[in-house]
Amino acid sequence: MSEPIKIRATVKGTEGEVRVLMPHPMESGQRRDPAGQALPAHFITSITLSLNGRPVIEGALGTAVSTNPLFAFQLQGIKAGDKVSIAWLDNKGQKGNAEAAFAAG
Amino acid sequence: MQRRDFLQAFGSAAALAPLVVAGLLSPTRALAVSFNRAAFEARTAADALRLIGAAGAETSRDIQLKAPEVAENGAAVPIEVASSIPGTTRLSILIDRNPLPLALQFNFAAEATARFQAKLRMAESSRLRVVATAGGKHYTVFREVKVTVGGCGD
Repeated sequence: MSEPIKIRATVKGTEGEVRVLMPHPMESGQRRDPAGQALPAHFITSITLSLNGRPVIEGALGTAVSTNPLFAFQLQGIKAGDKVSIAWLDNKGQKGNAEAAFAAG
Repeated sequence: MQRRDFLQAFGSAAALAPLVVAGLLSPTRALAVSFNRAAFEARTAADALRLIGAAGAETSRDIQLKAPEVAENGAAVPIEVASSIPGTTRLSILIDRNPLPLALQFNFAAEATARFQAKLRMAESSRLRVVATAGGKHYTVFREVKVTVGGCGD
């Protein structure tokens, strides 16, 4: 994917919020092109959110997740500067990842 | 109940049991319980619930599901889900009337709050279900969402 992942991590007190936007077609496999040919499914199947390198949220996604998936998560015990990263894998074996540091929100 | 019926009824639970045991035996690896990808291929909510092991989930008031009553655009229906059931390690979302009802599942380690926001596709008006897993038990809540323009086809 050419467009970069957008990831924003803010901390208030010790509670961290992470918002991620992962540019991806998330083609559901249910659509047809103008010629009537089925468009093959192409979608993110798994994501991993890691805190300072350790996985804390793992997701399995299906084709019902909207194009350019946007998620918000909450983590506890966070301080400014902690690193959060997101990695995704799709059904064609393509991957993406991005990292950010928590900043006071 | 005949033996064959019994095996059919409990076959999927038996298949998942080793994974559950593995998770219980290694509590420091809260995310060790893997997902059952076959559940994402299920074409009915009942099948998907059975495959994620949640067919007998009991209704709970400790799961919050925010979703619009009427969604104008089925291509991106915003939802917010949270579980205040202690020890919630997994949240699963199902959209009964989608071609493939299981939408997503998240596993949460201790550092993560069992809460998230997402945008989902809805093919048509449907029941939206959340299943929360805590301590190996399943809890559920659901809500009906009306969709003005479906978001799965063209």
